[in-house]
Amino acid sequence: AFVFLPLTVIVLKIHLIKDKDGIDDYLAKNIKGLSKQEAAANRNSYKKNICIDMLRQGYHKSFSELFTLIQKWNALREAAGPGSAIWQRESLEEQPDKLDQLYHFLTGAEAAQRAGHYEEMYDNQLNLAYCFNDPEDKWLSNYFYEQCFNTAQLVKIDGGKREAQAHANMGLICEEQGHVMKAAEHFEAFYQLTEGLTWKDETGHTYNSLACEHLWRIYTLLADKMLENKEHQQAIKTLIKALKMAKEGGDMKMEGEAAYCLSLAYNFAGEQQTALSVSLGKVAETTEYLGEFMKAAENAHLSQSLVDACVLLGNIYNERGKYNEAFEYFSRASEAAKTLNNLPLVEETKTYYGIAKAHKLMVAFNSRIEAEDPVSLKYLLAWKENRSDMCTDPLTVDNIYQ
Amino acid sequence: AAARPSVAALEGSRRCELCGAAPARVRCGGCRLTYYCDVDHQKADWISIHQQICQLLIPIRTPLPFLLSEKERKHGAEQLLKRQKYLIDLAYGTAREFVLEGKHKEALPAALHALRFSTEVYGSDSLQLVPAYLLLAEASTGVGHFLEASRYLSQAEWIVLTAPDCSAAVEYQLHRGLGLFCAAKGNLEQALYHLANDIYVASSAFGLKSLEASGGYFHMANVFFRQNKTDIANSLYAEVGRNKGHPLYFCQRVLKSRPEMSLLSGEEEADGFVLAAEAQRAEATRVLSTVLDVRERAPKQQPGETAGVLHALAMLYYLARDLPKAREAGRRALHLAKQLPQRESLETVGHLLTLINSCTE
Repeated sequence: AFVFLPLTVIVLKIHLIKDKDGIDDYLAKNIKGLSKQEAAANRNSYKKNICIDMLRQGYHKSFSELFTLIQKWNALREAAGPGSAIWQRESLEEQPDKLDQLYHFLTGAEAAQRAGHYEEMYDNQLNLAYCFNDPEDKWLSNYFYEQCFNTAQLVKIDGGKREAQAHANMGLICEEQGHVMKAAEHFEAFYQLTEGLTWKDETGHTYNSLACEHLWRIYTLLADKMLENKEHQQAIKTLIKALKMAKEGGDMKMEGEAAYCLSLAYNFAGEQQTALSVSLGKVAETTEYLGEFMKAAENAHLSQSLVDACVLLGNIYNERGKYNEAFEYFSRASEAAKTLNNLPLVEETKTYYGIAKAHKLMVAFNSRIEAEDPVSLKYLLAWKENRSDMCTDPLTVDNIYQ
Repeated sequence: AAARPSVAALEGSRRCELCGAAPARVRCGGCRLTYYCDVDHQKADWISIHQQICQLLIPIRTPLPFLLSEKERKHGAEQLLKRQKYLIDLAYGTAREFVLEGKHKEALPAALHALRFSTEVYGSDSLQLVPAYLLLAEASTGVGHFLEASRYLSQAEWIVLTAPDCSAAVEYQLHRGLGLFCAAKGNLEQALYHLANDIYVASSAFGLKSLEASGGYFHMANVFFRQNKTDIANSLYAEVGRNKGHPLYFCQRVLKSRPEMSLLSGEEEADGFVLAAEAQRAEATRVLSTVLDVRERAPKQQPGETAGVLHALAMLYYLARDLPKAREAGRRALHLAKQLPQRESLETVGHLLTLINSCTE
């Protein structure tokens, strides 16, 4: 609807217009050019134009947030100093595409907030968290995940799905930053909020199974720290929790690893104290878990783990004097080692077998000597003469130590 | 620039101090240097500013005596400059006071003088002239002379655009002036554009939470309210109220502390904060009056909020011992409070009115 008039006519006509506004109006309508605002906008920086756009539409909170984030970015850059990675990069205020994203989603979030649609506000903030996926923009992404978390507490209409999601994200962030206890809290909340519900993520896994996985991982990390601080009992308790989670999560490999860690912890704990002070109850637990681990290792064809588990079990039975069981496990370990074609390992397992056999022999030998009767003496002499294999010994000795 | 000897006086063709028309036949008896078209112009100038500066004009408008030494001439020039600057501040301050009180007509002569003296001292394209131009624009708008206001604003804008190093303070004040002018003309979208610029510049220079920026938010809130966008407006008012330096914060404190309760029980010093400086109360009253005006003219009413404003105003007028206004505001607050579902506000307003009425006896 703009009409382009020859310049002379315009000049003449302007004299007929009395007030300044009328002139501005006329010029705006009839001369193709920039309005005063457009001219000013050309002089302004992109950041200034975006800020002014936000403010004039009433999105003052978006303006405050954007302004503060840019200040933070600049402060980080100053603190890092010249020569650092962040110094080389352009300031946030000079990246138009990022500013555009911020404009779009921040104003969307504010509009949703004013209308009380907190789920929309959350979705907008989540988009921003996804936007900044450069590793150098981690702080920015984390900032928006935190905003999401705060907003999620206010969302009532989705049954807690967003709140759960937010806990998971915050847990991951805490884990990255090394705040393992805080991460565990978040993952536990994630677990509780998703118990019994069918929410799934893009890969088809249910939220609850994801929660189990996160908790297994975080409990294992926690236990690691405890072991470093020599808090063995605490570590074992935590690893038991980890195993429970691994089972619930339904992943065999996870379960196997969890059982293995637990058994190692028991073993480690056992080495620190004298073997005798380990109570019967603990041994039963250890053997139970090792048994399960063995099964898991077998199913998953983890031969090395199987060998390790069998050797461990064999040692436990060996120490307790249960040599038949020890034989069994050592021979199984040997079988598994053969499948690995690991000759040194095979030799090692054979050695254990030998040790167990020697112990058993000692039992029989000692009982014969202690009996101090002529019959026993005859057997001992017979054994000394032909050094027969104890297994073929016709004498059936009641091993009172069994 | 040194004062020029009054050539016009020598030639016998004098100009009116107020409007600049010639010939000006009426002369001020006090200084005998100031001329007016007629008694009306003289009176207007007197009320506005001349009463305060009459004697002060004499050393400025009288030609300098011929001084012999360089040192004496220099000293004389310095003295003159000092006096001129004093006059600028005085004229500007006086005009500002009038504008704040809503007396725009009385402000105009003082503001004009501020501009003239500034021009004499700093030259016609100095940034120092911008405050005077903005003040003149505000006063002219208040009187309804939109064309004049527009001209003053254009002058200010031109100076700012062409000055190589304009300070942020001047820049944001210019935008605020432009914004308020657009709002007065009813050009609300344009007003928002200018106020957005105001807030951006003030925030960049003084910080997001600065008093300067909060002033911009306040005016923006008023505009949004007139556009019926009450949720945006209320959000902005809340933002302003959080700034401890802004009168709105003071108003909220006044409402919360409910001094009338302790005043009723006979304590003199209800809340030291409430009986704060008079200037603070005056500013708070002014700001609240603006808010009240905006809220009353809005297409959609919010009686609860309006009642709150009236309540705070009643309290402020009471504390300033302006009983008629206090009673009026209190009565209106009570009337609105009766329409609301919650009854506590009704009670407190009632208490306040009792207090006010008891004072007149």
